[in-house]
Amino acid sequence: MNNVERFNTAANEERSASEAKFNPIDLEILWKRLISIVDEASAAFVRTCFSTLVRDGNDFAIVLTDTKGRSLAQSTMSLPGFIGCLPATVRHFLDLYPAETIRPGDVFITNDPWKGSGHVHDITTVTPLFHKGKLVGFAAVVSHLPDIGGRLRSNSSREIYEEGLQIPMMKLLDAGEPNQVLIDIISQNIRVPEQGLGDIWAQVAGCRTMGERLHGLLETVSLDDLGAEVRRRSENAMRDAIRKIPDGVYKSQVQHDGFEEPVIINCSLTVKGDEIDIDFAGTSPQLPYALNVVPIYTFAYTVYGLKALLCPDIPNNEGSFIPISTHAPVGSLLNPSYPAASGGRSAIGHLLPHAVFQALADVLPARVWAAGSPNSSLTMSGEYRSKRFAVVNFLNAGQGANSRRPGFSATSFPANLGNTPVEMMETLAPIRVLRRELRRGSGGCGLHEGGSGISFEFEIMPDASDVMTSFLMTQCKSPTKGLAGGGAGKPGQLLLNGDRIDPTMPRVLKAGDRVLMETAGGGGYGASDKAA
Amino acid sequence: MNEAMDNEGKLRVAIDIGGTFTDGVATMEPAGRIWVAKSPTTPADPGQAVSTVLEDLLQQVDGSLGKGTAQLEEVVHGTTLITNTLIERKGAKTALVTTKGMKDVLDIGREWRYDIYDLDIELPRPLIDGERRVEVDARVDAQGDELEPLKEEELDVLIEALAKLDADSIAVSLLHSYTNTDHEKRIEERLKDALPGKAVSLSSDLAREIKEFERTSTVAANAYVKPIVAEYLDELDNRIARTKPGTPLRVMVSSGGFCSAKTGAASPILLLESGPAAGVLSAMNTARQIGVDHVLAFDMGGTTAKACVAVGGEPPVTHSFECARVERFKRGSGLPILIPSIELIEIGAGGGSIAHCNRLGLLNVGPESSGSVPGPACYGRGGTDVTVTDADLLLGYLSKENFLGGTMRLDLEASKKAVADLASELGVEPIDATWGICNVVNENMASAARIHIAENGHDPRDFTMIATGGAGPVHAVEVARKLRIPRVLIPIAAGAGSCLGMLAAPPRIDRAWSSPQRLADVDWKQVTDNLEALRKDAEGELLAAGADDIEWSVGAEMRYEGQGAEISVSVPFAAIHGKPGATLLGAFEAEYEKLYGRLVPNAVAQVITWRLVGRSPSKAHNFEWGEDRAGSEPKPAAHRPIFLPLRKDYEEVAVYDRYSVAAGTTLQGPLILEEKESTIVVAVSADVTILEDLTVSVTIKEFE
Repeated sequence: MNNVERFNTAANEERSASEAKFNPIDLEILWKRLISIVDEASAAFVRTCFSTLVRDGNDFAIVLTDTKGRSLAQSTMSLPGFIGCLPATVRHFLDLYPAETIRPGDVFITNDPWKGSGHVHDITTVTPLFHKGKLVGFAAVVSHLPDIGGRLRSNSSREIYEEGLQIPMMKLLDAGEPNQVLIDIISQNIRVPEQGLGDIWAQVAGCRTMGERLHGLLETVSLDDLGAEVRRRSENAMRDAIRKIPDGVYKSQVQHDGFEEPVIINCSLTVKGDEIDIDFAGTSPQLPYALNVVPIYTFAYTVYGLKALLCPDIPNNEGSFIPISTHAPVGSLLNPSYPAASGGRSAIGHLLPHAVFQALADVLPARVWAAGSPNSSLTMSGEYRSKRFAVVNFLNAGQGANSRRPGFSATSFPANLGNTPVEMMETLAPIRVLRRELRRGSGGCGLHEGGSGISFEFEIMPDASDVMTSFLMTQCKSPTKGLAGGGAGKPGQLLLNGDRIDPTMPRVLKAGDRVLMETAGGGGYGASDKAA
Repeated sequence: MNEAMDNEGKLRVAIDIGGTFTDGVATMEPAGRIWVAKSPTTPADPGQAVSTVLEDLLQQVDGSLGKGTAQLEEVVHGTTLITNTLIERKGAKTALVTTKGMKDVLDIGREWRYDIYDLDIELPRPLIDGERRVEVDARVDAQGDELEPLKEEELDVLIEALAKLDADSIAVSLLHSYTNTDHEKRIEERLKDALPGKAVSLSSDLAREIKEFERTSTVAANAYVKPIVAEYLDELDNRIARTKPGTPLRVMVSSGGFCSAKTGAASPILLLESGPAAGVLSAMNTARQIGVDHVLAFDMGGTTAKACVAVGGEPPVTHSFECARVERFKRGSGLPILIPSIELIEIGAGGGSIAHCNRLGLLNVGPESSGSVPGPACYGRGGTDVTVTDADLLLGYLSKENFLGGTMRLDLEASKKAVADLASELGVEPIDATWGICNVVNENMASAARIHIAENGHDPRDFTMIATGGAGPVHAVEVARKLRIPRVLIPIAAGAGSCLGMLAAPPRIDRAWSSPQRLADVDWKQVTDNLEALRKDAEGELLAAGADDIEWSVGAEMRYEGQGAEISVSVPFAAIHGKPGATLLGAFEAEYEKLYGRLVPNAVAQVITWRLVGRSPSKAHNFEWGEDRAGSEPKPAAHRPIFLPLRKDYEEVAVYDRYSVAAGTTLQGPLILEEKESTIVVAVSADVTILEDLTVSVTIKEFE
């Protein structure tokens, strides 16, 4: 990733200048304020959003960057993968719209997977923030829309064109004036425009809140000075943490369900002094299915895994990213070329923290988890009682145990996606949920057992017409591996009217059809006395 | 003091059980003379301390007015029993009845992690374990229509299963019961007949809101504490009856109203946050007496600080809350509870908050707290933690001789040593570290309040702060300065603030029903009929609670169709007959634009919940302490150097005994006013006036 090298020198130069300006007391006060401003923006977004994906699913993040697009602070409950993507999106906009041309009231928008967050279903907006007439930074927010048109989000898509409307990098608002042409196009192309556009306007409201709250802080401090200092501190903390790992090359290989053959992620992690470089050479090639992971998303989840492992208690910002770089060969699953489809990229991207954990298992045996499973999801659309619906529901799985405790059951990791209440699901789509239970016994055995997955069963209401349905399921063929002698978790499965089916293809469900989705259990840790 | 007039009034008593002391206040209305009593809390049998306090108060009243002259009208009560039972997990053996397929709802929760980077978070354990859960095969849909009836045979099976379980209390939470309560009600009826003696709680009685996990969590918590609270209130009622037969017992609820002991015993979870609610009401009473409209109620104790933003005389009420958190200051680490409660922010900042150097080399203060043993370094009990209290002592804000009214001597040298160690770790001078601790903790509090004020679309400069709690008056002026709040009021607390709040609380009743509808589609006749019926029912209860001259208003929780959060707007009751659709829409849009800047094009406004509120007009309660002050020129009791933040140095200032300064006096800050329970620190230039009711008013003259 270039975004790392791009700032290395800049950070070094600023170091000596910023150091003198803050003592450890003032800095603590200002830093906390900076983070709380972003949290406020996040709260405003959640209060005004229109889809359950944001308020129940937590499928979003908000970041504050400086004028160069370097992350300074993020919402506390951000979706981990988005944190690494947003600053890069701001920089892409800066390349296209140089800072001197940006005016107050502008709002930029895109869903370009390579420049945004990896699939067309996420919309990113970027709002320039001005103080006393001067550009001081950017508020950037990304969230998953309930629908983006095209086919339903499915791994069977072969090219991006099938996946929905593509919004190139453009302006949503031009000096406060709405881009009506774009708005009309979006409105015409997505299944539930009142929800989709409602969420986009909520993004704008959240970023506006950030700008307003920032004014008070900027009366007392320059954002450039404060930003340089917080980045420097976070960078140093990450470097200190890396330095504690012995130099060396650490390898791991993670396998996941493929189509004709399994997907392989090959991870070679090099620790050298206070830097980490991760090379994914040897990873499976790009696929004609929607599992492709764009480089920025590869970077984001790799860095997230290292951050959680090495310095979880340090506020995250651009500084945390700098000592880490990732590479994957062009044309591989982790660096695909346009027009690769990527709607199901999270199933692969979410394995990257585990690839990192597994690589470092021998040097950090007390910290790492056994493998767990990424989330699955259920997407449905159609018309019921003369109302159009389009919904996305997440199902989480069992996570891996570690040296101190069993794995978490039915818990989102490495993402942080919430479920939709059953009552809300039944309100929004013509289904009756028959059960949502822990899938007991699905966790791998061991000294500490892996967490349980979920059994989720529903049927289509008798008076419903056809429901277009797409399943994204994970670890159905490749079970989650145990660690240090622990057993593997049970793989996930999908049943339609009692028969096992392949989740790849979208399906038309009829009234009375009954679906059982079971998510995988997590891997166990350590050899169990009683286990065979 | 005119005793003849006092004798004609009504005697009301408030008793609050706190962690350490049980406080009581008696007041003679309308004149407002008060008597105060206090006794150590008796955790094994909390009612015992209540009896002691009540008898003590009645003796005092008899002593003042002559035996038997005062008629005890009522006892108002607040308790932390519910919170403690939930935190300590000492509740009843409880069973849960759910819809078939949903028995794991409490385990599954929302499936997210409350800290994205912490790989070892601890998740809250459900109150009801897996062995005590029973499912019923019956179903209603999201519209409230019955999909599968609840058959008698199914009820038989349920009763049999529950009878076998070792459970004293039963929580019932069925899918979509917020829209159709039939099945839950039928289960309740059968349980009453078949298993008398078991406490039953229905989710539809407590929280008629869509989201099964949160609703189930609420009813589980209610059921978990119900037998304990019922027994406790019954016992308390008996004790009060022994003292004065026939005295009604009323309990404070989290929303700031009170209810009968019977209602409290049926829905004890409503009492969860009654203590903090009473504290806010006390501040609101001071605000009314002094004529202040925009209030930041600020309370700071040993481990936490709480703040409430109230505009227009009424504290805001929120409908979701979290209790018994695994990590006290992390949202999502507790049990969600959907009850109306006064909206408060709570942060880990108190006198005991520990200062330390974090991994980034920065000074952190809290949220960990030293507790009382070994406590702050200056307590001299072997503690080495530097706390806010240590910094306050070194800055001269607290006196080593006069802490807690002189009952505890502070060890200045121990504080000095502990701070010196911290300063060298941070690489700063000891004085910078000392002031830094105070400044960081003040900023933590100011920052939380700043967000809260801004979120509600207000400007802090319009506010007056009302400060309470042991550490509140020490830090209030500096927190106010950070927020640019110009005036701070410090009422007389005497450890009885919560009790005064209970006595000042106007009778109030809240009724609500959810019926999501587009504003344009509202059937006004039906809404009006509903409101009229509810009013009739509520009026009786309000009159029984002693209300006269009731004000009624109608609230609508509104949002754009598809959103998940509402904005409250309200109209007077009379307006409802005029189909006030346009008025409600106008009010909603104005508020939306104020909060979020821009209306949503083509979005449809919707009413989610209708609320009926009836209350006696909030009257300012004037409390008379029944003691006279010396009217002479105020004399400082001492002088001592304190740290002045704007001069970045120590200077000698006057120290007064708060209770020796007569009403009407104005002094000039910087100065210190000491009282037994706290110390008022004014470290900048300010007008410090003692008001008629002995509230101290500080008008700040220096900001940054």
